Amino acid sequence: MFNLDDVPVNSAESPKTALTLSSEPLLQGQSNNNFLRGGTVPQYLIKRTGQAVFTLFCVLTFAFILGRATGKPAGLLLPDNATAAEVDALNGALGFNEPLHVQYLTYLGNVLRGDFGNSYRQRESALALIAERLPATFELAFWSFLLGLLLAVLAATAIQLTGSRTLRSLFIWGGSLRHSVPDFFFALLAVLLFSVALGMLPSLGRTSPASLVLPVLTIATGQFVLYVRLIDAALSDQASQDYVRTAFSKGQSRARVLFSHMLPNSVLPVLTMAGLNLGSLLGGTVVVEAVFAWPGLGQVLTEAVSQRDFPIVQAGLLVVALIFVTVNLAVDLLAAKIDPRVSLA
Amino acid sequence: MTQQLLPTDPTVLPATSERDSPQGDQQGKARRRPAAGRRKRPGASPAFVAGCMMLGLVLLLAAGGALLPGYDPFGQDLSAAMRKPFTDPDHLLGTDSLGRDMLSRLSLASFVTLGIALAVVILNAVIGTGLGMAAGYFGGRLDSAITTLADVNLAMPVVLLLIAVAAVTGPSATVTIVTLGLTYWVGYARVSRNLARSLRNRDFVLAPLTQGGGHGWVIRKHILPNVFSQILIIAATDIATIILIESSLEYLGLGVQPPVPSWGSMIFEGQKYLGTNPWLAVLPGIVMFLTVAGAQFTSQRFTAEGTTGALLRKGRTA
Repeated sequence: MFNLDDVPVNSAESPKTALTLSSEPLLQGQSNNNFLRGGTVPQYLIKRTGQAVFTLFCVLTFAFILGRATGKPAGLLLPDNATAAEVDALNGALGFNEPLHVQYLTYLGNVLRGDFGNSYRQRESALALIAERLPATFELAFWSFLLGLLLAVLAATAIQLTGSRTLRSLFIWGGSLRHSVPDFFFALLAVLLFSVALGMLPSLGRTSPASLVLPVLTIATGQFVLYVRLIDAALSDQASQDYVRTAFSKGQSRARVLFSHMLPNSVLPVLTMAGLNLGSLLGGTVVVEAVFAWPGLGQVLTEAVSQRDFPIVQAGLLVVALIFVTVNLAVDLLAAKIDPRVSLA
Repeated sequence: MTQQLLPTDPTVLPATSERDSPQGDQQGKARRRPAAGRRKRPGASPAFVAGCMMLGLVLLLAAGGALLPGYDPFGQDLSAAMRKPFTDPDHLLGTDSLGRDMLSRLSLASFVTLGIALAVVILNAVIGTGLGMAAGYFGGRLDSAITTLADVNLAMPVVLLLIAVAAVTGPSATVTIVTLGLTYWVGYARVSRNLARSLRNRDFVLAPLTQGGGHGWVIRKHILPNVFSQILIIAATDIATIILIESSLEYLGLGVQPPVPSWGSMIFEGQKYLGTNPWLAVLPGIVMFLTVAGAQFTSQRFTAEGTTGALLRKGRTA
């Protein structure tokens, strides 16, 4: 995967060391090989779960700091002619007059009980408002991910089956070009072609299954190049393994080796990548939702920003961080289950 | 590789030899020849030249737009609104719904967007390299703390993070620069940490320490120069990503505020007139495409295919 000749580094010797070290994961414990050799998946599970919880705690704290940085919200909530006493009373009722550490502990307690505060504008639970919109976003993200992955698997297997370098450049260059166009602009071009010019597909809203087509197409094609690069690299890695040579020497066909041996063994990096990419997928979905007036997370969040309705934004941030951390934890544990060597890394 | 490509694309390659002085060309050839035997050492490939030309065009637009006659990105003229490109000699690329000159606005938008992207990348590189070198060089607790920080950082999607910050402070260019600048540094930190870790026990690092050199001095004089080229590579590949994220945020109304134009906000405004005058959205889109594709093509010269993939995979993606 690495090509030593192509890494320009000043020092003559550093590329080699850099490459061996840069392939190790960042979050690796220091020299605890003995501990890990004795420990098995449960040890790893505990360590990894602890990390996830700590990450969530940091996100919570960050959201708290952001929320307090807004200043006291009563001035925004009450009409302009409210008296200072009224403002102060509302701030007190919302708990903003307490000492900061008391506010923080109350906040943590509330969040643990699933209470993310009420929307300033709509006087409803912020979490409920977010939860209401989540299914629409999930629908979009799920189908986009599936389509993007499917296209990439098809492309990567086609590359491997034909062994054609031209095909590889074609897919990767095509994908890179598509990736050079931001999703929201690609979406506009798609609307221009399919809705304005051809009148085939709806351009706005979430009314029929057909309204899924353009947004899904937009996100999936944008993600395509990431997956195709990765799967292609994973398959090419596998291609040089001994078991592949053995399979060929037994007289198995190229397709058989690819589908029953190489592809299953390439699942792991794809799984990890998909987990890490979830954040960008959800972020991208938020933007594409704005183009298609898709009634999802993106819409409710951008509205909340324009109305300075911080509890909604906070709930959105926390929910997405929770999803991201949980999925990545699941992916890592699954990876350790699939390939026990992972927990040793 | 280069030798093979020469005859296939006669239109693009002469541009390089025209630009280079004869002497420079001679040297270039002499340098290129031994490399031709190696696998995939990109010389002035057609993609690189095309990328340079695309970037050059955008830079010219950003830097030179203000010098054009009739440059006025803010002046409204409702009687001349919604002119299509190349129909009005006063407004070469037409006008928007308020009659503002599109060419001027595109020029200013390019200047603004590129400026923000550059500021973000520099901030990222400085923070990431600083933290990464410190983590790798000193190791121990500091290392764990910084790697944890990087991990936490990755758990928050950038777009959502910026939405959250903008909800608090109100959207502005400064918010975009600071938020993106403080969040997108993990790729730099990983690479410089790993490099610093591999360098810290080398003789040329230990020797000045034994002679009383301070850690700061050693890092600056012996670690940083070895990390620097890798950092430049990441910066070159990152700038396209940053521009994409930045424009997405501008499209959502979370970046530069009107009346100052940006590519994202121009596309958002133009979207309303997609049926009648699609140029309003398409023109800024084309400029953005030229920039991002140009940056990608150009940066591929510095990164082999495999390295790019690995770097991108380890850094945050969009």
